[in-house]
Amino acid sequence: MKIFDYDWSLIWDYRGVLLGGLWVAVQVSVVALVISAVIGLLLAVLRLSRPPISWIATAYINVFRGVPALVSVVWVYFGLAFLLGINFSVFQAGVIALSLLYSAFLAEIFRSALGAVPPGHREAGQALGLRGSRIFFSVILPQAVKVALPNIGSMYIGMLKDTSTFTIIGLLEVVRVTQNLVSTTFQPFVFYTAAALIYVLAAFVIDMIFRFIESAYTRPPHGRLLAAVRRRQRRKISELVEEMGG
Amino acid sequence: MSAAAVGTHAVADTDRAVLIRIRGLRKSFGTQEVLCGIDLDICAGEHVVIVGPSGSGKSTLLRSINLLEKPTAGSLRVNGVEYGPGLPGEPPQRRGSPLALRRTVGMVFQQFNLFPHLTALGNVALSLRSVRNMKASEARVKAAESLRSVGLLQRAAYYPAELSGGQQQRVAIARALALDPSVMLFDEPTSALDPELVGEVLRTMRQVAESGMTMVVVTHEMGFARDVGDLNVFMEDGAIVETGARGFFDNPTSARAKEFIRAVRR
Repeated sequence: MKIFDYDWSLIWDYRGVLLGGLWVAVQVSVVALVISAVIGLLLAVLRLSRPPISWIATAYINVFRGVPALVSVVWVYFGLAFLLGINFSVFQAGVIALSLLYSAFLAEIFRSALGAVPPGHREAGQALGLRGSRIFFSVILPQAVKVALPNIGSMYIGMLKDTSTFTIIGLLEVVRVTQNLVSTTFQPFVFYTAAALIYVLAAFVIDMIFRFIESAYTRPPHGRLLAAVRRRQRRKISELVEEMGG
Repeated sequence: MSAAAVGTHAVADTDRAVLIRIRGLRKSFGTQEVLCGIDLDICAGEHVVIVGPSGSGKSTLLRSINLLEKPTAGSLRVNGVEYGPGLPGEPPQRRGSPLALRRTVGMVFQQFNLFPHLTALGNVALSLRSVRNMKASEARVKAAESLRSVGLLQRAAYYPAELSGGQQQRVAIARALALDPSVMLFDEPTSALDPELVGEVLRTMRQVAESGMTMVVVTHEMGFARDVGDLNVFMEDGAIVETGARGFFDNPTSARAKEFIRAVRR
């Protein structure tokens, strides 16, 4: 079979199906990212606490960082569902499987990010009489999130790619729809190339989105879009200053 | 008792109320004792300057006053409320909470410690909102007033990264002053600054002093100490070696204090 025997126009014909697969993958991974971020932050805080509380977090992190996504989803979809007597949908099973793994990874990212905030800022908060929770949410966390963002971005690319393993439970993500198309068109090279391109392009877009969020978290904010936000904030404050007679 | 009594400092009965009373205060890190029994009385409106070589425990003493360091033993009374573990054999019946103490004690750090993700105004307003429970609009006005008092109202919208070190430290002073503390602690407030920026911070501190604020200052700025210090404390090896009233730095008694002051004056 020569290169011109491949029917590349098939990709365009089936673009809706392929992008539909991407959309499913994005939905599963975004829901899992939100859950992982919350649980990961909690685990990071637990890991930074005193033993024996920190041991629980350490154990969780070390176990679930080591489990491959494929094993995780089979274990959730067949094992955990049987154990709990609940029938998970493939979507739910995918979200749970990803969240179990990536909350462990994000916990480590948050732990190092929380550690990167200078201890003097906590002390300044304490000296001002702020409560511990207020110091955490208003002083430490905003700074830690900024440090963690680039790593969360790379993690998310990994999460999106790991949804490809959920083809085994029949989730209609990119690889699953690719397989379906191959079985009817007999053009595996064409469709797997398309699948690869979709993942690569998605990774580009995710990177761009996270860069944008990162620049939004930079103080003073960078970028043209945020300069407008900045100007509004400045105007509001200078109005106040003028009101007070400079 | 002479003003330069060695070892302890006890204030003679004056008409001024004792705001902070420290007795037998000790602090250890592991086996190392950093404060070995400090006695000190600080009156309302008094300006206390603490000097001494590095490692003498002066910063630890200052940080004990708002419980950033928890004393191992001894008594710390602020406004008549006991916050320390108490003297041996007489544990206090009631102890105030660190949170309550810190809400009446302002502190300025060597490294400024402004919150980099908030504007100058946001830095000052944060504690007004959550400690004083002010509404956002109310807190902004009060914060702006506080910034004006340190001459930085025009920089209200700037982030710490856009301010010079001296300006950052003045914002930090405004942040602490906004909560109307009954005492302000300064932990080497000019030591991290470029020499040309020291002056503006010291000017702001002089203004704070002139307003009648009770101040405890750890510093190496001898000019400031000489002009502002009502009570001067020389520390070494975790103990107060000598204390003196105004003019102390021109005429210390102990040999160690003489040597130290000669060295830093150079």
